[in-house]
Parts: sequence; structure tokens; C-alpha cells
Amino acid sequence: MNGPTIAARPTRPRPGARTWVVLGVLITYTVFAGRQVGFDISTFWNVWSNPLWEKFWPVPWDWVLDWHNVLDPLLETFQIAVVATLVGCGLALPLAFAMSPLTSPNRTTMVVSRSVMNVVRAVPDLFWAKLLVTAVGIGAFAGSWALSVFSLAVMVKLFSETVDGADPRPLEAARATGGRRLPVIRTGVLPTVLPEYVAYGLYVFELNIRASVVLGLVGAGGIGRVIEAQRQYFRFDRVLGILLLVLVVVIVIEQVSVAVRKRLV
Amino acid sequence: MIRFNDVSVTYRGGVRALRNVDLRIDDGEFVVVVGLSGAGKSTLLRALNGLVPATSGSITIHGTEVVGAQSAELRAIRSRIGMIFQTFNLVNRTSVLNNVLMGRLASVPAWRSTTGLWPATDTEIAMQALERVGIVEKAYVRAADLSGGQQQRVGIARALAQEPSVMLADEPVAALDPVTSRQIMGDLRRINQEMGITTMVNLHFLDLAREFGRRLVGLRDGEVVFDGDIADVTDETFRHIYGRAITDDDLLAVDDEPTE
Amino acid sequence: MAAGPTTGTDGRPPAPTGTASRRMALGALLVILVGWSLTGLEITIDRLLGAPGDAWDIFRRMFPPAFAEAAERGVVGKVFESVHIAWIGTLIGALISLPLAFLAAGNLAPAWVRVPVRQLFNVIRAVPELILAMILIPVTGLGPWAGALAIGVHSIGTLGKWATEAIEGIDEGPLEAVAATGGRWASGMRWGVLPQILPVVTSQWLFRFEINVRASAVLGMIGAGGVGSELVSQLVFRNFPAVGAVLLMTIVVVLTIDTVSAAVRRRIIRGAGRAPGNGTDGDRNAAVLADLTGLRH
Repeated sequence: MNGPTIAARPTRPRPGARTWVVLGVLITYTVFAGRQVGFDISTFWNVWSNPLWEKFWPVPWDWVLDWHNVLDPLLETFQIAVVATLVGCGLALPLAFAMSPLTSPNRTTMVVSRSVMNVVRAVPDLFWAKLLVTAVGIGAFAGSWALSVFSLAVMVKLFSETVDGADPRPLEAARATGGRRLPVIRTGVLPTVLPEYVAYGLYVFELNIRASVVLGLVGAGGIGRVIEAQRQYFRFDRVLGILLLVLVVVIVIEQVSVAVRKRLV
Repeated sequence: MIRFNDVSVTYRGGVRALRNVDLRIDDGEFVVVVGLSGAGKSTLLRALNGLVPATSGSITIHGTEVVGAQSAELRAIRSRIGMIFQTFNLVNRTSVLNNVLMGRLASVPAWRSTTGLWPATDTEIAMQALERVGIVEKAYVRAADLSGGQQQRVGIARALAQEPSVMLADEPVAALDPVTSRQIMGDLRRINQEMGITTMVNLHFLDLAREFGRRLVGLRDGEVVFDGDIADVTDETFRHIYGRAITDDDLLAVDDEPTE
Repeated sequence: MAAGPTTGTDGRPPAPTGTASRRMALGALLVILVGWSLTGLEITIDRLLGAPGDAWDIFRRMFPPAFAEAAERGVVGKVFESVHIAWIGTLIGALISLPLAFLAAGNLAPAWVRVPVRQLFNVIRAVPELILAMILIPVTGLGPWAGALAIGVHSIGTLGKWATEAIEGIDEGPLEAVAATGGRWASGMRWGVLPQILPVVTSQWLFRFEINVRASAVLGMIGAGGVGSELVSQLVFRNFPAVGAVLLMTIVVVLTIDTVSAAVRRRIIRGAGRAPGNGTDGDRNAAVLADLTGLRH
């Protein structure tokens, strides 16, 4: 028989001590955190006997579809989202270029802009809203501000990854012609990343519509204001109606932006 | 013994992949199936283990009917037929041994295979399968870290771990270089001879077919247009099967000496 | 026309006109949309110019942050409570969403199973954690458990969607191989699918954890445990130095978790992507990010 020579069987590699330590730490922490938050499995079945459920139904559609009650604030939400998306994405464009090693004018700009954006992102969105409401007063104006900051943070995160991953060769070619920094970026990088920029912008717009639902909780205007008021009256049927309406709006916007993105990317 | 009796396969959309195929393959045979791409080679193999259901006709393996078999029955049939794929179909992110143990899935209780607590006897079978294709030393290496030829050997070991009576190989060397291709075909031939496993291999390289085949089946547009001993095959036979002249693209490597 | 290079401009194609006019129309549409929005929101120039000053004023008053006072009030414990809530919530979401994702994947489940599960994900995603927490509080009472559960339920939506996309991106060869060996459906899932998606899915869980830390901080604002309650109460009293301390502590914890989690995610994905022919790091990062944000269509 001229079959292959029989090699010795390898011994099964045992998971190292580090694996066990990591596993042990994770399990211990999970048990500890579970106790801290008061994990209670019975909630999973008790939740069905929630006294609130019957308050959810039936949805009073004639109230929900009323212009003054819901549709006008919903329009306000839409307007907030438009302004915030534009401001956020507009500021994100230069910032992303400042943050990328490919296009940044110098190291200091890059490090500073990256650190600032990380800190901005570390503050939860509603914290921003609450702070800005305190600063500029209750209403849609504060909401626009808060969502602008939120849009900026998300957009920079998404878009700077794209700039980092852009093909450096056209940029090199543009540089080789001896152009100044901005024209070089304009012709060498912008065309390749623009489709993604617009796609992410549309995505951020979707996120803004979703986020506006909760902005009202801190007094930042839009449809969230109505939700908060109805919640305080325990009119959960109206809350559900508004949520369903927002869901429809979000789905429509999502469909449109998916269609646009498909044509772009 | 395998019997195809007037087997036709029509895909949804109306494409007729097999037309009235009659074949009889005896135990221990080594059959090479050739034909242009789209001639129905792949469908022929997949009809045999029910991955593609036959539209009409009858297929029997050792007297068991494949056509119309229900899920438990079909799993039992498949468990005795090993299959080797053009793209290897390994799980790249797990170890070679785990890949080979997948060949034991039909014979191991579900709770054991799901939790990964494979019985020692099944691990032993998998190890022996790896020894037979000569890569047992790679047992605990991730499949992704192997070369193409080694990956296909894992594919063969997985099929062997089923302890099959029939082995189906669908273009097993199409993704490999000429030298490795000959080694893999050599492995299949050796396993066929040593273990007496009935083997059906789809090939599109005609010189490989001639070198390793014993019996040749030619398919054209889903019909069997040649079935005979490889010794009787001439270039004219291939022209007949392909319906066109033979070019260099149909040969693995004209000048290459078979390597040992 | 003569062959070869011409000296005149006759042979040059005219600049395409369609794109320019389409761009103009789009630009005009955008300007109108923004103008309409700005007037609708009653954003006037003087408000716009006044706002940065107001914001800066508050920011200035936060310094120096009153760490001692905040520590005395147990803010540190509250920040960590937010982390605990996020961890437990993410785990609940992960454990429920993973099996559901198998039922939502186009390559594994028939339409009559897949469509309702996907709709479930969409509906869950549409309901913010804050609303979920409000609904849960009557059952759980005020406190962190309401927050953890709200985060868990909400995470099912996104984690389920992401995992579904990961499953739909698998190589289906191993599944066919399992079927060919006579394995059951469950075996195919366990050995054909799970090993392929596990690295991506765990990094999705970690990414969601990062998001959930922020979300759980917010949940405190309505009494569902964590640091949010501290921020609200200090802002009500306009105790800005304490607000500054709360914010800074939150930022430090969030940034630390982001950094550690991102490093772990990178390791997981890199380990999984060791297969040859995987493209550049840039490609891979973009792909992972697209996976994580659900942007891939």
C-alpha cells in the first residue's frame, strides 16, 4: 500500500488559563450585575397581567389623526429632523476630513478633533437635549440643537470610517499635480466618498425621526411633547396611536431612503 | 447497487436538467461523469441523495427508493452516501476535526452533537478518516488555515466519517491546481479500491477523466449520450458528448506528467 | 470628418445637460425644505445667534465640577448601576434575539415564519426604551430592573435585525454539506451556521452594549435606575457644578467601555477574518460597520 504515511495524532489543545479567567470574570460579573439590577424572572409572566394593557386599546384614531392634536406636532418633528440632519451632516463633512489620517492637515488637528468627537459621543442624546433645554428654553429650538449634536456625532462616526477606508491613490494623483489641500480633497477624495455621505445622511435623518419621539420627554418639542403629555394623563391608547403613526412615517421614510441609497451606492 | 430508472428532473421555471436517465451502477464501481456545464452532471449526483428531488422516475440504492422519500427516511439514505463538493463546503471558522465530525451528525444523538459532546467512538472514526487522507496532524487547526488541497482532503474525510457505501464527488478538483488535482483524484481512486466504496465523480477535465476513470458516463442536455468502459473512449467520443471540438480548456494540463 | 486628431472642437461631445439641471432642481428642493423647516420652527436670527452664548454660559458654570458633592450623593454607584443595567439588558436582548434571527433569515426560514418575525423586529425597534420602561414600571416598580428589561426588549429589535443580516450573508455550502450527510435541520443550524456567524454576532452584542450604556443612563431620567436621575435632579436645582461632575463621570465610564469594547470587537473580527483573500483592513472595517449599523442592503 502506498497510501500516505501515518502521522502522529495531535493532542487536543486545552483552553488556556486566560480563557478560564475571562469566562469566570464574565460569569461572576453577570451574576453580580443581575443582583444589582434586581433581576426577577417572574416579570416575564407577570408582565401579561399589567394593569396598563387595557388602557392601550382601542386606539382613538379620530383623535390621533386630528391636525391640531398630532399631525401638526408631527410636522414639527419632521422639520426638526430636516434642520438637525442638515446642520449635523454639514458640520460632519469638514470634521471627518480633519479626523482622517488620509486628509487631516496635521496630527494635532486630527487628535484634537477625534478626542472632542469621542467626548461628544459619550454624552447620551437625551442628556444633550436636557442640557440644551436648560440653556435655550423649552421647545423645538432646543430640540433642533440637541438633534444636531446627535446627528453630528453619528454622522462623524459613520462617515470618518468611510474617509479612512477611501482609496488613497486618486488623492496621491491629485497631490502630485501640486494642488492646495482643499482642492485636492475636493477632487481626490470627495467624489469617491460622496455617495456614502448622502446614504449616511439619509440614515441619520431616519434616526432623527425615531429619536424625536423621546425628545419631548425633556421638553424639546415635536411629537414627543404630545406623547409625554398623554402619558402623564395615562392615555396610553393615544400614545399607542401616535407610536403607530410614527412607525408608519419611519417605514415610509426608510423605504424612500433605501431606494435612494440603492441608486447611490 | 444503484439504479436510475427513467429519471427526469425539471427545475421550477421549466429547465429540464435530466431527461429519462437510465443507469445501473454496481457496488465498488468508479464512475466518471463528464459533460459541458449545464449538462446535468451536478443534478445527477444530487438527485441520487435527494438534495434535488427527481420529478419523475425511480432511483434506488441497495433497493431503497430515494424518489419521494420523507425526511427521516431521506436522512437515513443520505447518511450512507458521502458527498464531496467543488467548493469544499467546510465551516472555515471551526477546527478540521469539528468539520469531519459533521459526517457523524446522522448517527449521533442530537443533544450530543448540539452540545459538542461527541462520543469517543465517533471522534475515533473521524480521526481514522483524517488518517486515511493523511492530514490527521491538522485535526485541531482551523479549516480556514489550510491550503485548497488540504481543505478538499478534509471534505473527503468528512464524507468517509459517514462510513458510506457510496461516495459522490461534484467537481472535486475544479478549484485546485493541476498537481493537487491529481493528488485528490488519486486519493479518491485509492479509497475506492481499498474500501470498495462505489464512487461517482463529476469532472470537466477530459484527460483527468481518462487517467482516473474506469467507466465513463457522458451527459448532454440532461441525457446520457455515452456509457461505457474508459478503454473504449476516443477523442471522437468526447466530441460527441460535448457536441463540439475539444480544446485545451477541456484538458487539465496537456504536457504535465502525472505527479506521485 | 477626417480621421485622426482634430484641431477644432467639432469632435468633442457636448457636456451632458441632464445632470446639471437635475442637480439644480435637487438643490432648490433642499433649500425650500430647509427654509420651510426653519420658519416652521420659528428659528430667528437673534435666537440663533443667542443660543451658543446661552449654551456656553451653562457650560462655564459647570466648572469646577463638584466631585466631592457628587461622590457624597453616590453618583459613582449610580454610574455603575447604569453599566449593570446595560449589561443585563444586552444579555437579555442577545439571548432572545439569536434564536429569533434564525427564523427571520431569508435563506433558512419559509416566508410564513420569516415575515412575522421580521415585522416583530421592526415594531420593537420603533418603540424607544423610554416608552418600554414607562409601560414596564407598573409591573416592576421604579428602579433598575425596569430599565434592564426595557433595554433588553428594545435590543431584541436591532440585535435580531443585525443577526438576521449576518445569517443571510453566510456561505451556504456547509449547510448543503450537513444536509448531504443526513443531518437534521437543528444540526445544520448548530454546525453549518452558528460557527460562521458567532464572531460577527458577538461583536454586534458588544456594539449594542456600548449603545445601551448610553441608553441606560438616559433611562434614569424617568426613574428606571442609573445615573440619569442624578442629572435631572441637579439640573432642576440648577446646581451646575454637580451637573458637571455627573457628566464627567458618565463620560469617563462610557469612553472606557467604548475603548475596551472596540478593542475586543477588533480582536474578534480579526481572528475570524484570518482566512486568505479577505481584502484590506479598511474594507473589512467598512463592512463590519455596515453590518453593525444595518446599512447593508
